[in-house]
Amino acid sequence: MSLLNDDSSSISREQVTEAYLKAIRLIDERVAPLLGKATTRVLVQAAAKRVMNEYPFLSCLIQRPYTDINPSIIQEQLSGVTSSTLIAGLNALLDECFAGLRELTGDLIAPPLHDEVAHQLRQLQ
Amino acid sequence: MESSVQSGSQVTDGAFRSSNGQQGARLAAIRHEMEYLNTIGKRFVAAIDRFQVHRALLAALQELYSFSACCILLKGDPFELFIIPCYPLEASFLEAMIQRIANAANVIDFPHVEAEQLARSAYFDAPDDLARARTQDDVAGTEIGSSLNIPLTVENRIIGMLSLFDEKTGTFDTDLLQLTTMIADYAAVALENVRLRERENALWREAELERQRLELIIRSMAEGLMITDAHSNITSLNQSAQYFLSQARVDFKSGVDLHQLAGTSNTTWLPRLIEIIDQAIAGKTVINQELVVGVSGEAVPLTLSISAAPLHDASGTSTHPIGAVAVLNDVTSNKQVERLKDEFVSVVSHELRTPLTAIKGYTQHLVRRIERRIRKIRNTQQENNLPLTELPESYDLRSINIVQSQTEHLERLVNDLLDLSQVQWGQLNLRYEEFFLADLLVEQAKSVQASAEQHHVAIDITLSDTRIIADRVRIGQVIGNILDNAVKYSPQGGQVMIRLQKEGEDYKVSVIDQGVGVSQEHFHHIFERFYRVHNTASHQYTGIGLGLYIAKAIVERHGGRIWFTNNPGSGSTFHFTLPPFPPEHNDKHSSESL
Repeated sequence: MSLLNDDSSSISREQVTEAYLKAIRLIDERVAPLLGKATTRVLVQAAAKRVMNEYPFLSCLIQRPYTDINPSIIQEQLSGVTSSTLIAGLNALLDECFAGLRELTGDLIAPPLHDEVAHQLRQLQ
Repeated sequence: MESSVQSGSQVTDGAFRSSNGQQGARLAAIRHEMEYLNTIGKRFVAAIDRFQVHRALLAALQELYSFSACCILLKGDPFELFIIPCYPLEASFLEAMIQRIANAANVIDFPHVEAEQLARSAYFDAPDDLARARTQDDVAGTEIGSSLNIPLTVENRIIGMLSLFDEKTGTFDTDLLQLTTMIADYAAVALENVRLRERENALWREAELERQRLELIIRSMAEGLMITDAHSNITSLNQSAQYFLSQARVDFKSGVDLHQLAGTSNTTWLPRLIEIIDQAIAGKTVINQELVVGVSGEAVPLTLSISAAPLHDASGTSTHPIGAVAVLNDVTSNKQVERLKDEFVSVVSHELRTPLTAIKGYTQHLVRRIERRIRKIRNTQQENNLPLTELPESYDLRSINIVQSQTEHLERLVNDLLDLSQVQWGQLNLRYEEFFLADLLVEQAKSVQASAEQHHVAIDITLSDTRIIADRVRIGQVIGNILDNAVKYSPQGGQVMIRLQKEGEDYKVSVIDQGVGVSQEHFHHIFERFYRVHNTASHQYTGIGLGLYIAKAIVERHGGRIWFTNNPGSGSTFHFTLPPFPPEHNDKHSSESL
């Protein structure tokens, strides 16, 4: 499932990063009232662990909560990473987050939230 | 309690400004919700162990909806999984539940765990009174129809996970999820409280076990152990200490004030014990002080070696000791060995003295005979005007003189050993007589000067009357020993000054040398018996280390004191004082004047 097309070459890495951080914040907004404030943080950390082998630049999300991540930290990690690789990595991360969410609550939260997140990301393109 | 979930019934001011009917309905709803939360809260707050938390959780959830089982997975090493079924479940259902729990744990960043591991360590907790009878609606199945996994959070920290399972599909919706999460928040805090309580209890148990272990060690110690507070009250006394101190027939026990005890007891060694404890309370460490606590009539009375040290507060907040800890060692057997050794030395010295006297006598006789013979030969040579050649008898005389000198040295050593025995057994008998101390000093100076060609022995006496009543021979021995040391430890020669002064009523004799001085390491030992300054590669000092020990005993027996100081430049000065009259003489005069 691709939330943002890999061929979005016109978008800078900073814009991509910011867009996905916004997407995660949206997930958090929806999940926190239902599963508690800390859930999205650990979902993202666990998701980052699972995709880290393929996308090592996402390791910064394992060591610290996504709420502590800012574009400058991402920049350090992204040297030599193309926008398309970045998009692929972040797409994989979100996929894992939604898979985790399904593991926790089945189809109660994940399907409508996935649509909402996809819509938000599409607006960026 | 902090709730991580925003209540759907949050009340705003605007809500209360609606019509009376709406307001009444809203207030009733709020009251109902608060009553419900209050009921749940009380159940969780009252739970004192995790099983009571499980009951509270199950009761709260069953009021909302029906389900097959709830499970609690707690983080830790190892994980703890509690399975709380609402009714008996199929094995395959259980297996599927555990697999789902393992999967969910992994997606919320728990340390990786396999379902098999969880299955091995799972506990079943099925409160009978909450068990729900199966109704016709309950589907008897082996597969999971619905499930929820909710992180258990305390202060934004995930401590575990609550999982709910049902055989039916579509059991949960978002409203139920939200309510269940609210209840999970209560459960999380209650479980954390239980965990903290269990940890606290475990720490207390550990501390208590450690205390008991320490008490057992202290009780089993052969050494006596006495602990006091800062006011010299005994706070702890082990069995060995009780046994040792019981010799005094004084009631040593916890809570006793040592100073008060001393006031009511005539035990002779108690003041010294208190002095040692007080020194420790004042912050000083006292090492190996001997106390004879046994009955004085015994051949070797019970003797204790006491070491005491200040006891500081474990928190380290105060620099002042909060008490003292004293260790009491029974050194009676050492004393017995020492006594046997002293007896042996005494017997051997006596036995050596008899042949020595004979050797000395016959040597003197031989010297006189050879001297007479040499004189006779010389006279004959002179009368016959023969040249004076070196006689073979002269060689004999020199050899015999060496034998005589070495015999005298041996005699001095034997005498020192005999004196040692007398001092050890308190049998140093003195023969008092009246004499002039200045004369004795001059006499000793001349004697030492005769055999110390490299040294210049000088006298500095300005006192006119130096009359004294003392044991002349023994005082001569003291001066001789100190002078011998002054010469011995001035291997390069130099001046040895003997000064006689008055110090109050007492005489003060000082022997000042220009020798090697006394290094710091020897300061506290130099008057001990058999203590010798170690020989160095460059210098070998003879002697058996008794001279100063015996000198100290003689001076103290006369009521004086002996000490030393290092000179600013080089060498050292040994001082001793002597009262003009011996202590016995003073006592006699005092009693006569009374």
